[in-house]
Formats: sequence, structure tokens, C-alpha cells
Amino acid sequence: MINLAGRDILYGWGKFVFTGLGLGLLIGVTLSMAGIYRGLVDDGRVLLQNGGADLWVVQRDTLGPYAEPSSVRDDAYRGLLGIRGVAAAGNVTYLTMQIQHQRGEVRVMLVGFEPGHPGEPGYLVAGRPITRAHYEAIADLRSGLKLGERIRIRRHEYTVVGLTRRMVSSGGDPMIFVPLKDAQEVQFLRDNDALVNERARTAANPAFNRPGVPGLLEAVQASQASSHNVNVVMLRLAPGADEAVVAREIRRWKHLEAYTRADMDEILVAKLIATSAKQIFMFLVILSIVSAAIVAFIIYTMTLNKVREIAVLKLIGARNRTIAAMILQQALGLGAIGFIVGKTAATLWAPIFPKYVLLLPGDAVLGAILVLAISALASIVAIRAALRVDPATAIGG
Amino acid sequence: MTQPAIEISGLTKRYGEGDAAVDALKGVDMIVQPGEVVGLIGPSGSGKSTLLKCLGAVIEPTSGRMALAGETIYDNGWKVSDLRALRRDRIGYVFQAPYLIPFLDVTDNVAVLPMLAGVSNAKARERAREMLAALDVGHRAQAQVPQLSGGEQQRVAIARALVNRAPIILADEPTAPLDSERALTVIRILNEMAQRFGTAIIVVTHDEKIIPTFRRIYHIRDGRTYEEAGEARAA
Repeated sequence: MINLAGRDILYGWGKFVFTGLGLGLLIGVTLSMAGIYRGLVDDGRVLLQNGGADLWVVQRDTLGPYAEPSSVRDDAYRGLLGIRGVAAAGNVTYLTMQIQHQRGEVRVMLVGFEPGHPGEPGYLVAGRPITRAHYEAIADLRSGLKLGERIRIRRHEYTVVGLTRRMVSSGGDPMIFVPLKDAQEVQFLRDNDALVNERARTAANPAFNRPGVPGLLEAVQASQASSHNVNVVMLRLAPGADEAVVAREIRRWKHLEAYTRADMDEILVAKLIATSAKQIFMFLVILSIVSAAIVAFIIYTMTLNKVREIAVLKLIGARNRTIAAMILQQALGLGAIGFIVGKTAATLWAPIFPKYVLLLPGDAVLGAILVLAISALASIVAIRAALRVDPATAIGG
Repeated sequence: MTQPAIEISGLTKRYGEGDAAVDALKGVDMIVQPGEVVGLIGPSGSGKSTLLKCLGAVIEPTSGRMALAGETIYDNGWKVSDLRALRRDRIGYVFQAPYLIPFLDVTDNVAVLPMLAGVSNAKARERAREMLAALDVGHRAQAQVPQLSGGEQQRVAIARALVNRAPIILADEPTAPLDSERALTVIRILNEMAQRFGTAIIVVTHDEKIIPTFRRIYHIRDGRTYEEAGEARAA
């Protein structure tokens, strides 16, 4: 038996291809939504991976440093290094902010780190590591910054000496790495007017400005103008050390919270991006329903346009399954064209998205199966309509 | 004596029930011999299409008897289990419009019938080409339907009706959209095919220009048939 569906598609290929193209763009949006979700999760995981840490030590009762604010004294690392199994410790600060550069401004996550310690960028794609104690920066490519470019962050100008890739916050903001001391100043040091005002307030407070206690006022004022806090202490463990045991020790003796990589993964994926993921999932569901409705409508309309041919086919002896197969094959063909167009479109426009879009082959395979399943389901209405066509309608009167 | 190709007696068809019931056929009698082309003429609403649908096994009569080549297919109930196969193998249809399938070429429009009967694609196409040649449209075998003229399309439709060697063809106003010359050509072709293949053909028509070509005519009025005497037509 000849393939009726194939012949019909070839006969009206222009209409079919353009319909598939429209459907494909919708499928492309659906695949991109899945890619955005995957990108969110992957950004979070890369964030954890690139820091080179096995444990994240943060303020007790917080989910910091990515999900909640966390403040830890920057000398806490000394005590942490004394715990069995801890090989290296690094203080890290995070601050999301807007920075200005020569061509405009960009929203970034400013990371303060100690070179050679956990928390430094995992690798560079251009330039060199930070070698000076101040005013050098490493920027992610997504920031749009170039090597040698000077950027202003609060009070000082920094020179971009290195570039990284895929170093973004869980919100998708590109990271800029600067020396820890600079980052602490950016995060905690107030502007000069505020400092003068604060000093005057402190001097006016008799508790801090006692005539009989020389040096007290200066000491208090100095403490107000500097900070010795960080957001997290990242630990790298010695080979063979059990991260769960070390984390338990830290919680018990150091009055701090310690998260393993699995814990952080859970916090990032299940808590921090959970709402975004649900939002995207809802979009996926709605787009899938819309795609199914469009396929159903198109196939139904195409079927109604062939009522006379279907009646003739039935009159001359075509089985119901021949008619149903023709419509089902057309729906699957439309779905297949839509998927190919959608996958191509999603792949082409993924790099244009400001956030990372990760299109996994597994998702593509699942998407193809879903598209074909939805197409098959969507053809049911049309098949039912075709099977109801009375062969007697081919005979006039 | 050969068996009549079509034998109908006391055929009735009632639509609806109770007060709303309409008797479209009130006892139709008809006999058509193999190789005979018979006209069926009647005004609108007289029951022509209903009779054609009953004979074409697409609607069920209410009562009566129908036999094809001596085999009873209906006797106050269907006597064949597979009406689809009956329609496919033993009845050919020619419609007012050709109703060719636009997405198939000319050959496949004809070959689709034997293909539906399980004949291989190659064999079915061979049979289709033979039939198209017999109807003088063999040179258009590879053409697409929209490329054909109205007359050519109707010839292809006749080829489709004949390709399975169906002993009966039901033609529902096959010349309605054609001019006189083409209409007469179609009737000539139907007569030739009836002679050549021994096919019994019933032509439903209003077309005054082709009515004189029939050797026998059944008039249908108010659900009853009246045969016009052969002598009268011969005269």
C-alpha cells in the first residue's frame, strides 16, 4: 500500500513545512526553557566545582554564602586548619553589585579571595592570575570586560589581568575576582562622609569617650572603619578525609555551620533555584499544552479539508486503520519537522541568551519522544473526526 | 441463461421513526444484466441517491432483497459480513465530480483500489496503467490531478471504478459538470467498458442530452421505479 500520508505531505509540502516551521519555533522555545533550567542548575554546580572546596564553613543557622547572608570572622580559618583532615582554608567574600567600565556598566558578583587558597578561580582562559595585593581583577567573559581594561569598583580602579569562563553566580551574574582585602573594603567600608559622621557620633557617646581612658575612642573608631569578616571559609580536605566527619567536628567545636558539596548542591538546586525551576517548569507545561493544541488544531483542520477524499477512500474500501494511519503519520511528520526546526533554532539562539543555556542530548532525545507522543495524542481528535466520516457522503443527494 | 448482475425486489428504505418517518424507497424492483448500461432518472427527492446508497452498501435498506450476480447480499438484512470488502471488490463508483485524490498522481489514483485489496504496488500500478490506456488517458498516467481537464479526470474516475473488475458500477450523475460532447464521450466510454468487461452500469442522471443513449431506463418517482418499455425506447 502506498504511503498516503507521505504523498499528502509531498503534495502540500509548502504548507506543511511552514506549519512545521511555526510549530518548530514553539518547540525551540520549549527546548530553550529546558536549557535555561539546565543552565541554572549547571551554573550552580560549576560555581561549587570551580571554587575547589570540599567544605563551606558559614555563619551558624544560615544557608550562606549563596542562599543567605553569612558573616564569619576572617581569622576563623586558623582554628579550622587545626581540625584533623583539613588541608587548606581560604576566606571568601561575595557581593552582588553594579560596576562601571569604559563601555557602560554591568551587574556582577564581586568575589574576594586569597590567591593560592580555596575559592580562587579554577582556571583562566586568558591573562594571568592576580599577583599584586591590590587593584587587580579577574573577570568572567560574560561580563564583557577585556584584558587590560580598567574598571571602577567603589573607591578604586582595578585592572583586569585575567579572564575566566563559566564563573557566574547562581543568579547568572558574571563573577569578578579581586584580592580579599579589597573585597572586604568594598563590602564593609563606608564612604568618607558616613565615616566622619560615625566618628562624631561615637565621640559624642560618653561610653566610648571617657576622659580617663586614653585611646579608647580611637580604638572604637578604628574598629568601625575596618572589617575582619568574610562570608565563607572554604576548606579543602586532605586525601582520605571524611567530609561528613570534618563538618560534624566544625559544627560541634567551632560554633559555625559547615556544608559538604552535597549539602551545597542541595541548597543551590533544591532551595535557591527551586522557585525559578518551578517557574520554568510551569512554562514548559504550558508550552507543551500549547504545542499539543496547535498540532491538534492543525491536524484537525487538515483532516477536515480532506473529508471528501476520506469519504471516497472509505467508500472504495479503505480500512479505518488505513485512514487513521494516514492522519497519525501526518501528525508525527509535523512533530518531527517541528522538533528538527525547534532543536536547530534552540541550538542557534542559545549563545545569544544572557544566561547560560545548557541543551543536553538526553533532553533532546526526551524532547523528541515527548513531541512525537504529543503529536500522536493530538491526532486523536482528527482521527475520531475522520472515522466518523460517512462514506455515503461521497455519493450525492 | 446468465444470472442478472443486479436484481432488486421490493426494496424499501425508511428514514426516521413514528410521525417523522419518511419512506424514501417504497418497493423498488430492478434487474440489470451484465454488460448493460441502464439509466435511472427521477426528480430531486425521488429516491435516486437512496437507491444508489443501498445498492452501494453504504446505507442499510429497511426491507426487500438485493442480489449481485445471483448472490443475495441483502434479504431483510445484510447477508455479507464485510461490506467494506463488498464495496471494494464488487462495486465501482463514479461520482458527479471525479473526486480524485489530489495528492496522488493519476496512476496511483487508480492503483489505490487494487492496493487496498492487497495487490502489490507494482502489480496494482500495472493494472492501473492498462485501465488508463483502455480509457485513452494512458499518456497522462504520471500527471497530477490538477493538471487534467474535467473530461480526463472523469475518465480516470471511471478507470478507478473499473480497475478491480467490479461487476457493477454505480455512476451518480457522471456527466453533470461536462459539456454535451464530453458527456456523450463519457457515456460512450461507459458503454464500451460495459461491453468489454461485462460490467453492469447504473447511471443516475438528469442530463437530457444523454438520456436518449440508454437502451433501458428506470424512472423513479416517490420511491417507486417504473421501467420504460424497451419497444418505446427503440421507437
